[in-house]
Amino acid sequence: MKDKMDERLDQLFAAARNEGLAIPLADDFFETRLLARIKEQRESAQPWYAAAWRLLPAFAAVAAMVTVCTLSFNPSRSSDMFAAITGGQDEVVGMSILTGE
Amino acid sequence: MASAADNEPSDESLVSAACAGDDEAFTQLVARHKGRVFRLAARFSRNSLELDDISQDVFIKAYEKLSTFRNDAPFEHWLVRVAVRVCHDALRSRKHEKNHLPLDEHGPELRDRGEEARSEAREAREILAFALERLKPDERLVITLLELEQLTVRETAAVTGWSEANVKVRGFRARQALKRVLEKYDER
Repeated sequence: MKDKMDERLDQLFAAARNEGLAIPLADDFFETRLLARIKEQRESAQPWYAAAWRLLPAFAAVAAMVTVCTLSFNPSRSSDMFAAITGGQDEVVGMSILTGE
Repeated sequence: MASAADNEPSDESLVSAACAGDDEAFTQLVARHKGRVFRLAARFSRNSLELDDISQDVFIKAYEKLSTFRNDAPFEHWLVRVAVRVCHDALRSRKHEKNHLPLDEHGPELRDRGEEARSEAREAREILAFALERLKPDERLVITLLELEQLTVRETAAVTGWSEANVKVRGFRARQALKRVLEKYDER
């Protein structure tokens, strides 16, 4: 059921519809100004590779982070071949003792 | 005998030409449809400068997206969808300006105009504009399309990209919000 406020709203909508709008349809220069803006945008537009250099700091930061992570989390490799081989064998021997194999 | 209208290129052929870089074809499209865009943009503009800005933004957006136009619907329908989106963006971008718009604002001006015995229709439009300014962008968009542009729920859903159920709910809420604003306006 419509209340008084609904009726008033409908009246306001009807009045606004009927009154019409002040629209400058006679503006002959609208298209000219629009095309000028489009041409300006077209000229200022850059291909993606022209802006690629702006990503250089980001690439450098990623490379630095990868380097730091690699150095921090990977154990340093021994230059002594015998120590490297026996180090690996210690683990195998320990495992055999624990599992009884 | 062929009439002048028969000789005019169709919207679809103008779109194809414009996509191929023919600026003259795009100018023809603008001249053909600017009236519809102006009428819609005027519902959301506060002055002629803003109207011009929004209308230009609509056609620039249309130019950028022209290659996405498919011939499965008339060009005007597609353009109206672009226009609605640009108008919605314009409403949202100025939302922060009027987040706490006091109800007293414009009040004296309206009273003065009333004293000047302006026409009833004009006063009604001003009261409505005053109330619409206080709605959220979504509410204003949906109430304008449904009540002022007199689109159906289905058409409103098509141009906004919302579901029909969503349009109905938003329309109802917008109407309730509008009633609350008018009640407060009357209490002053």
